[in-house]
Parts: sequence; C-alpha cells; structure tokens
Amino acid sequence: MPSKNPLPPKENAFFKRILKCYEQKQYKNGLKFAKQILANPKFSEHGETMAMKGLTLNCLGKKEEAYDFVRRGLRNDLTSHVCWHVYGLLQRSDRKYDEAIKCYRNALKWDKDNLQILRDLSLLQIQMRDIEGYRETRYQLLALRPGQRASWIGYAMAYHLLKDYDMCLKILEEFRKTQTPKSFDYEHSELLLYQNMVMQEAGMYQEAMEHFRTYDKQIVDKLYIQETLASLYLQLGQPEKAAEINKALISRNPENWSYYQKYEKAMGLEGESEERLKLYTEILEKHPRASMPKCLPLTFVTGDVFHKSIDEFLKKALRKGQYLFVSIKSIYKDPSKVKIIEDLVLSYVKNLKEEGKFDSNGEVESVTVLLWTYYFLAQHFDHLNNIEKALEYINLGIEHTPLLIELYVLKAKIYKHAGDTGKAVEMMDEAQSLDTADRCINSKCAKYMLRANQIQEAADMCSKFTREGISAVENLNEMQCMWFQTECAFAYKRLGKWGEALKKCHEIDRHFTEIIEDQFDFHTYCMRKMTLRSYVGLLRLEDSLRGHAFFSRIALLAAEIYLHLHDHPLTEGDNDGDLNSENLTPSELKKIKRKQRKAQKKAELEREKQKAEQEKRDQNKNKTTDGELDGPKEEELVPDKLARVEDPLEQAIYFLKPLQNLSANCVDVHVKAYEIYSRKGKLLLMLQSIKRGVAADRFDPHFHICLIHFLQYVKGKGELVEPTKTVIEQEMKKIYEGKTALQLNTDFLSRNMNSLPHRLAGARMMYNLDNSRQKEAISIATTLESDIKGVTIKNCVDVLESLGRGDVGQCEQEASDYQSQCYRRFPLATAFCPHMQTQASEKEESSSGNPSNEILVNGSSAKHEVELDVC
Amino acid sequence: MATKETQPANIDEGETEENDVEADAKGKKAARHDAGAADLEKVTDYEEEKEIAAKDIQDAMRVVSDRQNREAKAKHEKEKELSKVKINKDDVDFIVQEMEISRIRAERILREYKGNVVEALVFLTN
Repeated sequence: MPSKNPLPPKENAFFKRILKCYEQKQYKNGLKFAKQILANPKFSEHGETMAMKGLTLNCLGKKEEAYDFVRRGLRNDLTSHVCWHVYGLLQRSDRKYDEAIKCYRNALKWDKDNLQILRDLSLLQIQMRDIEGYRETRYQLLALRPGQRASWIGYAMAYHLLKDYDMCLKILEEFRKTQTPKSFDYEHSELLLYQNMVMQEAGMYQEAMEHFRTYDKQIVDKLYIQETLASLYLQLGQPEKAAEINKALISRNPENWSYYQKYEKAMGLEGESEERLKLYTEILEKHPRASMPKCLPLTFVTGDVFHKSIDEFLKKALRKGQYLFVSIKSIYKDPSKVKIIEDLVLSYVKNLKEEGKFDSNGEVESVTVLLWTYYFLAQHFDHLNNIEKALEYINLGIEHTPLLIELYVLKAKIYKHAGDTGKAVEMMDEAQSLDTADRCINSKCAKYMLRANQIQEAADMCSKFTREGISAVENLNEMQCMWFQTECAFAYKRLGKWGEALKKCHEIDRHFTEIIEDQFDFHTYCMRKMTLRSYVGLLRLEDSLRGHAFFSRIALLAAEIYLHLHDHPLTEGDNDGDLNSENLTPSELKKIKRKQRKAQKKAELEREKQKAEQEKRDQNKNKTTDGELDGPKEEELVPDKLARVEDPLEQAIYFLKPLQNLSANCVDVHVKAYEIYSRKGKLLLMLQSIKRGVAADRFDPHFHICLIHFLQYVKGKGELVEPTKTVIEQEMKKIYEGKTALQLNTDFLSRNMNSLPHRLAGARMMYNLDNSRQKEAISIATTLESDIKGVTIKNCVDVLESLGRGDVGQCEQEASDYQSQCYRRFPLATAFCPHMQTQASEKEESSSGNPSNEILVNGSSAKHEVELDVC
Repeated sequence: MATKETQPANIDEGETEENDVEADAKGKKAARHDAGAADLEKVTDYEEEKEIAAKDIQDAMRVVSDRQNREAKAKHEKEKELSKVKINKDDVDFIVQEMEISRIRAERILREYKGNVVEALVFLTN
C-alpha cells in the first residue's frame, strides 16, 4: 500500500484503476488514469504512479521511456515496495533475472509478507536454479499460507531438488495426510506417484514397494505400477517375481521389446539356449500375429535355427513390402548371418524370376514381391558398402516399376554414400517430383541439396511448404527448424562463408535460449496441476538442454569457425565467402562478380519487400494485442559483422562452455577447448582441457596431437613461476609418466597401427618431431592396406587435406598419388575425381606459409570437407 | 473490483497491492510472463485451490519449522567457518586471471581449500 505518500481518496481510486488496467492489458487506458494523477501539480512526482506508468509503457514497447519513468518513480519513493516490485518486473521482462531478484528482495524489505512478491521471487529462483534461495522463499510462503496445496508441494520439491529426500518425504507425507482423495482422483494419484518416485531416487526400494501396496487403489496409472514393481523386485534381489510381472506385461502387449529384455535379464537368460527361445515360442502360440517374438530371437539364434527362422521371416516381410531392412539391421553385426541372408535373398531373386516363387515348393507370389526383393538387396549391398551391386539392384527395381518413390530415395542414398552428392540430389529431386505434396520427401530433398552446397535451391524447395509472404529461411527460423539451419551452417562453412555460417549457429543457440525461457510457464502450471513427476523431469531436461546433439554439433562448428577467423582474420577488402578468388582466371572472376552483384541486388529487393510486409504485419499485431511484446528485442545477426568480431576466441568459448560440463565425455569438446586456450596462452586452462580429454578418450587422434603439443609447449616455456610450476609438474607427471613426446608418439602409433585416422595423427606428429622422417610419416599416413580400419571417404579426405596443408611437409607428388589411389577405391566420389579439381593440394589457407616449427593443432579443416554420415 | 474476477483464466495480474488476499485464495499466480500459462488454462479445466483444514496443518507445520531452524543454524556455522579462512589477495587475482572465473567463485574455492592455491588449482583444472 502506498506507504509514505498516501494519495487522497480520489487519486487513490485512479491508482487502483491503473493497476486494474494493467492486469487486463488495457494499457492505453492505464496511461490515461496515470495522466490524471500526474497532471495534478501536487502529485506530479508521485513515485508509485510514475513507476506504474513506466511498467505500462514497457508493455507498449517503449522500453527507454519505461526505464526512465520507473527509475524516476523509484528515486522519488525508495521505501515503496511497489516501486521496487515494478522495477523488478521490468528487469524480468528484459530477462535480467539476477537484477530482478535483487529488486524483489528490496521490495520484500519494505513489505516482507507480500505474497505476490514472494511468489514472483520464488519463480525467478527456480528458473535460475538458486535452489537454496528457492527453499527459503517457499518456506516463507508455506508459513504465510499453510492452507494451500502449492505451498506444501513447492516446499517439498525444494528439498527433493537439494537431494534431501528424507525431509522431502516427511513434508509430502504430512501433506498427504491432510488430503482426502475422491474416486478416480488423477491429481491425488500423481501426488502418490511423485512420493514414490522420490523414494526410488532415495534408494528406499522396500518403502517404495510397500507404498505401492498401500495405495495401489488410489493410483490410476496401473501400467506404471506394474512396470515399476518389476524393476523394484529386481533391485531387491527377487528376480523371479520381476520375471513373472514382465511375463504378464508381455501378454498384455507383445510388441514392447523392452519387456522381453527385462524378462531375460531377470531370468538370467543369455546366449543361445532352448530356454531362452521357449518364451518366444510360447508367446507366439498365444499371439500368432505378433512381430516382436519373431524378430527378437533372430539376434541370438545361430546356424540352422537361424536359417530356418530368417527364411520364414524374410519371405513374410517381402510379401508385405518395404520396411524389412530396418527391422533386421541389428543382425548385420554378425558376418555369418549376413552371408546367410545374402545367399537366401539371392536365391529368391533367381527363383522369382524363373517361376515366380521363393523356392521350388512354394506358391506363386505376386509380382511386387520381386520388386521388394530387389529393393532389399540394394539396401543390403549399400549397407555393406558394395556400391556397384547396390546400384545394380536398385536399377533393376526401377526397371521393374519406374514410378515408385522409395526406389529413387534409396538410389539417392546410395549415391550419397558413394560420395557423389550432385548425383544424389538429382535422384532425390526425381523422387520429390513424383509426389510434391509429400513433405517428408520434400525435406529430404532439401537436406540433400544442402549437403551439395545448393543453399538457395534448398530454400526454394522448402518454400513449397512454408508460410506464404515470408521467405522460407525466415519462416524455418521462426519454426525453430534446426535440422535445416544446421545443414545450412555446414554448407556455408564448406563454401567459406564464415559469417553466414555463424549466423545460423547463433540462430540455433537462440532457439535453445528460447526453450529455457519457455520453462517459466511451467513453474506455476505444473505445481497447480500436480504433474510433479513430469515437472521434475522438465527441470532436469532443461538443466542439460545444451548437451543435446543439435546444440553440440553447431557449437563445435562455431568454435571451429571462430578459431579459423582468429588465425585468418578477414581483411578490409575480403568479402565474406569470396576467399578463393585467387584460383580463378580474370574472366571467370568477372563473370562471378557480375553474377554476385545481380544476386545481391535481387536479394536486397527481396529483403526490402519482406521488411515492408513484416512492418505491416507488426502493425496489425500491435493493433490486436495492444502492443504486447514478449522478451527483449534481440540484436539482428549480420553475417559480415559476425565474421569480423573482435574477440573470436571469446565467442568460441561462449559456444563451448555449456558443452564442457554437459558433454564432458565428448573428447572433441576438449580438443576445441585446448585449441582456444593454447591460442590465448593460458597454461592452466590448457592443462584443464588436457586432463578432461584424458578422462574422455586419451587415444583419440585429434586429442593425441593436443597431448604432444602441450608437452612441447611446456618444455618451450622454460622455467615456470609458482604456483603454476607446482601444479603443472604435479599434474603432468600423472598424465605423461615422464615419457618424451617421441616415446608417446611411438606408443600411440604401435597401439593404433590399424586405424586410418590414428595413423594420420601419428604421422603428423612424427614429422613434426623430426623432419628427417618425412618419408616414413607420409607412407604411414597414405597407406590404404586392406586390414586398416576407418577407410572412409571422409577420413581419406582428411588425409588428403592434411597433405595439402603441409602437415607432413611438402609432398605434392605423394598427395596426387594418394588422390588417385583413393579415386580407384571410391570411383564415384567426387572428392577424389581428378577432373573435378579438388583443390585440396593447392588450397588457399596459410598452408605453405605456415610457420612449420609450430604445431598446428589440427588446423580448422576448412571447406572442402565432405560431410558423410550414414543416414 | 472483486466481482469481475470470477473468470480467473483471463486475468493476468502482475501488480498486487489490491485484493491480494482474494486473488491468492484462488491460487491465481501470474505475472506478465504467465500469458502462456493463462492460455494453457483456457484449454484445461481450472479448479479452485482447496484449503486444507486448519487442525491438520498444525502438527505438520511443527515438524517443518523445527527442521528449518536447525538448517539455518548449520548453514550459518559453515559460512562462519569459511569466512575465518585467511586467503591471499594475490592468489585470488591469479586464479581469476588464469582460470577465467568470477572473483566470488575463486574466493569461495580458495577458502574451501583453506587458502592452499595449488590444491585449489588442481581442483579447478579437473
């Protein structure tokens, strides 16, 4: 309540109207009432009114004025909790949560029992994960309002999050006693299940079991009880009971494979045994149409039994159609089974062609069976990297039925695996054209285009499904369509358009921020709806959100680009993405320039058009919602600016920081961190990356290079000062055990002689430590003997690039020999095709001018990298 | 003013001075940021908060408040102990500079390691 400067009744009534208008989002009216108070000279400086005016202005998007009024209002009435609260709300709307918390605390100084402020504070505390503070605030709320459900739940949850299970359970139990459940009371059921979840997390399995027994009538999720009971029995050392429950669950739903797994685990069944198979035959008798009991045994039976069951399985599936391969892909780990499958299916083809039957004593099959058999064989050979055969069978399929989409999709995939992205796009486009209303194919086609660096084409492809009146790229950003943006980022990077690539990375980073923000709504909602298990799950998900692969991929990419920009900053004249102009003839250059100018002009026009439309939309929006804005306006991402940041290393750290904690077992993160800190010359942070890398994967090839670099780096530093000296010496002893760089490298090589990426890393270091061993190093790096693992297109491209960069010294002849060697091995891969001029050997970069006595920590593997993952 | 407040789903209350009690009793929470929650509420059935009978509460409250007091005390002791540890300002500067962490965190860790800078650094490089 207005404390020091009470308004007279008439003005006070106006003030109340302001509050009301604010609540009901009638901001313009609110301003009118504020004016009526402030127009009176006696109250023209009334603090609380000014603060409220400011808050209202903020909602109308007038940020600066808002801050001005709120601050002035606060200055005029420093002891008013209203002013402090308003200031907090304003900061909150700008996502300055720390500041907002301070304001709320000040507000509480002047009105310590104000429930609304306490609640707002508790929300910020849980959002910021100040759990200790959250517990304090929840305690106050409980003391003030012990009659409310949310007070109890919130307080108990604070203890749960602090892992004080005992106290949490006590509070929950006290609270439960006060409740009288109705019949089929979902919320009460959720409360009980939450209680049980806490017990399980506390390791109180016996108690959890008894809890279920006592309350099973009141819990509505019966399936969850059974599933949890089974795992509880297992924890408590009563596997027979666990098995019994799982068996019942299998009969209830024979298609859930995890029940089978749990049953086997409880019964201790493994390997190939009669007993293990018994379960499946039993279930199959009861449920003859179920597919799991047919599919699962295929992984463990062998020999004749396998032959018989896979024969039946394949025939049945081929009659049905396309989804066969994925369901038996897991069997492909066993080469003897692959052989059986191959022989069987080849015999089917032969028989089907001759007499339309799988085998001599079968019935005549429908014509499509032959088609699906071709399709399966193409997938089979593709999986085994036998491109030639895969293409043979897919072409047979297309000949058989020329207009089937799946065939073209598969053919595109085969070309992709063969390393010919251009051809892959062609095929995918063909598939897409057969059904332009299929968004799945449309997206796949766009993705293939991006892999082939056709960014504009991909955007045009997507625009068939995005909203009209807005560019596809923008719309996909709005929709947080991260796969598209990720592929774009990689494509831009391959083209050397660093700024554009970074823009995509930042956009994705913002999506993640947005997802964390979105939590806010659930802090109140879940508490009231009693969906506590899901709520705790949500909090934990958000805590590790940036550990998601969608983030880590682009974070590592961003770090790599920033490192590159640190080493090779763009000069004044450099146009982002114009980097390799030196390689072109003047006429070519002119042509390209002209083309670029044209494209630029077109793009500008497009942008302007969109801007106008955007403005128009914004105006409409403003009208309808009375100018409601959520969140602070974000700075526009300008590619050129991003590519010319002053502190690329700090930017790289920004992206990497979350991963250091959330993906600590991913060694790439520590390699990147090491590269950053080594450029900053921060010895102790380099040590940190080394220690973490050792814990993650000591024998990773990239990390091996860091290990050796660090050893040499410290040696080169000479005498260190305290306390660094003690720390470094003490910790290095544990990691290096007194070995020299040479010993380390020799060990590494002999240990990993049969892996291509390891050989490359070892060879690079061999040359680096002793230039006279160049010949030996090159031969280690370029050998492609048959027993070497990891001979993939990507790894070979890495080697070729490394040779081109001069990592093992000048070796043009060897590089071109290696290229032709790879070409023979991967005849369809454009990366090695001699006519395509891969440029790998004559690449710009600092390659030749690289100060060779310094270890280049796997230099940002630049642009011609071929992205290949099995999709 | 209170009469119109019977449709809780639409109300977005950020300021609270008036009719606090009433609003609370309904358990409506919502500052500006709750626009989304309010939307959610429109589609789900909204149920008013039930009060718990006063006599049930008392016992429960006693358990809770005892614990709260004890904890506050224990926390206080620990903080007092930590604040007694003497730390060297140069060490703090060094840690902040080399490990790129905040001053507050550097001080705290140094205190936890009783001012031993080597041990603190070993911990920080883990």
